[in-house]
Amino acid sequence: MKLGLRSRGLVASATVIWLCAVFAGTTALMRYKNAAGAQIEPAARWPTDSAVPRARGHATLVLAAHPHCPCTRASVTELDRLLMRARGRLQAVVLFVKPRGAPEGWEKSDLWTRVAAMPAAKPMLDVDGVEAHRFRALTSGQTVVYDDDGNLIFSGGITAARGHQGDSVGRGLILAALDGARLEHARAPVFGCALDTPENGGTP
Amino acid sequence: MESRTKDLLDQHMRENYRKTSRLFSILLGAQWVFGILLAVVISPRSWAGLASATHVHIYAAVFLGGAITSLPLFLTLTRPESQATRLVVGVAQMLWSALLIHLTGGRIETHFHVFGSLAFLAFYRDWKVLAVATVVVASDHLLRGIFWPESVYGIADPAWWRFLEHAAWVVFEDVVLVFACFRGIEEMRSIARQRAELEKTFAELERTHQIVTRTEKLAAVGQLAASVGHELRNPLTAIRNAHAYISKRVMKSDAASDARTVQFLGLQEREIHACNRIISDLLDFARERPLDLRPCPVRPLIEEAFSIVTGRDGVSLINEVPVDLPVPALDKGQFRQVLVNLIQNSVEAMPAGRAGTVRVTAAMDAGRWRIGVADDGAGIDPELHAKIFEPLFTTKSKGTGLGLAVVATMLKRHGCSITLQSEVGRGTRFEIELPAQTPSAAAA
Repeated sequence: MKLGLRSRGLVASATVIWLCAVFAGTTALMRYKNAAGAQIEPAARWPTDSAVPRARGHATLVLAAHPHCPCTRASVTELDRLLMRARGRLQAVVLFVKPRGAPEGWEKSDLWTRVAAMPAAKPMLDVDGVEAHRFRALTSGQTVVYDDDGNLIFSGGITAARGHQGDSVGRGLILAALDGARLEHARAPVFGCALDTPENGGTP
Repeated sequence: MESRTKDLLDQHMRENYRKTSRLFSILLGAQWVFGILLAVVISPRSWAGLASATHVHIYAAVFLGGAITSLPLFLTLTRPESQATRLVVGVAQMLWSALLIHLTGGRIETHFHVFGSLAFLAFYRDWKVLAVATVVVASDHLLRGIFWPESVYGIADPAWWRFLEHAAWVVFEDVVLVFACFRGIEEMRSIARQRAELEKTFAELERTHQIVTRTEKLAAVGQLAASVGHELRNPLTAIRNAHAYISKRVMKSDAASDARTVQFLGLQEREIHACNRIISDLLDFARERPLDLRPCPVRPLIEEAFSIVTGRDGVSLINEVPVDLPVPALDKGQFRQVLVNLIQNSVEAMPAGRAGTVRVTAAMDAGRWRIGVADDGAGIDPELHAKIFEPLFTTKSKGTGLGLAVVATMLKRHGCSITLQSEVGRGTRFEIELPAQTPSAAAA
């Protein structure tokens, strides 16, 4: 079907406007997906006052999670893959942060169920984020890895973007450290929901 | 034939574009709904402690998904056959792939949407759509590789050419699909060609069927006409002879002084003549007389025809046939009848009360004789040109509709063709072309 000159002009103009709108929307989405959450430097040594059980004979990974953060699903998926690749050289604990005032069972989300099903990881309730604060975690998905001697070898996220599965810098660094690479405390950006309520500095 | 094949192929292609656009209008709408459902189920809210807000994915699914869907949906519904529509749909499908990958949290399975979409886009059988879609995929990976490399490649500093690796797999599928597109078009062309051949055969069959039906009908009419004509001719001859005798006696008697008697005798004579002509026409049309071809000079034949034709006041008959025209071999009796009928037709074509001229010409060109009978009468309506040689067709109140049919039949027996040029109000010219033959003798 041949379009008239005027009609073709209109279609061309509409297409340019459409492309601009779609490009702007996609860019905004990408900026959101790639905006890292808040992070502060964790302790260089395993916190002695922590109630989180540390593995003996191999490294321990602690991941702080908001039970309902949809972005953390990708972190849990990546944790599962990481533990599979680590083949017993890594023990993981996932801290499910339950703010004060949350109803009974609030923390028992699908994420809890998934973590509970992993052989090398166990979920742990963290009431009011006490343990998360000990590991300086502000963002859901924040992961710290301490070696057998209690030295911090990694801190950050294990996803490539917000709620995005797949290879990531964080997962690569942890595996490299487990494989014996001598890394100065490795860091990666973390992507996820804030663990704290807004009045404490978090933003949904 | 080629033109019809091309028309049919174009028609099939347009139909295919329409159907595929309709498919995409449904698919685009379904993807939008599916995207919103995905966002609602997978990531309804983002959290900060106990506080929550609507997740950005919901807005992305509703507004960005709506934006991606809007233009292609509009174009598929309003301009389903346009190439612009196909190209926009190609771009939109790839954008939808990217959005769905984001909405499902980068699941590897969702990446198959890209390849599924390419297969759907191949329904258009237009390689340009696949090319545009591939450019969108490559551009998406190139730009994200520059600005957010980890989100695409999982590493912070990928090699610059990594986007080509992703695009190469898409191109791999494109090659297969483009091949399938061209093959599909070739099959459509083949079907169009076969259909064009079928149409042509069917049209020929239809034409043959009409001819056979008409021939059968005419044969039946001819037999009836011959029988009726033959049966009427003898009584009519007797009537004519009786009329001639009575007329002669009456004209010598006192009754000749009665004007009405003379008038009625004249009327009888004219009507007997008219009946005779009708019977002659019927017999000429029906009889299958074998040709008796002999050298027959044309100019004297025209003169004979002039002597037979019933003239009209003010209408001049002019014989312009050259004296030295080579002599063709003709069945004199039949060809004279042809000329009589044509000339009579021309004389009767003159509007009543107006003077006119009927001019007969002849010439020889490249071994063929061309004989023209032209008048400056009323002319013939172009719509009637195809019908005037058909039996029983006439525009005259007293015509039999057999005069020109007899002409056509007899000329056909001679292997001649006849053409007609006419302009309403200016006149008509019939031209007979004799088949090539060696002149029989010098002009008479």
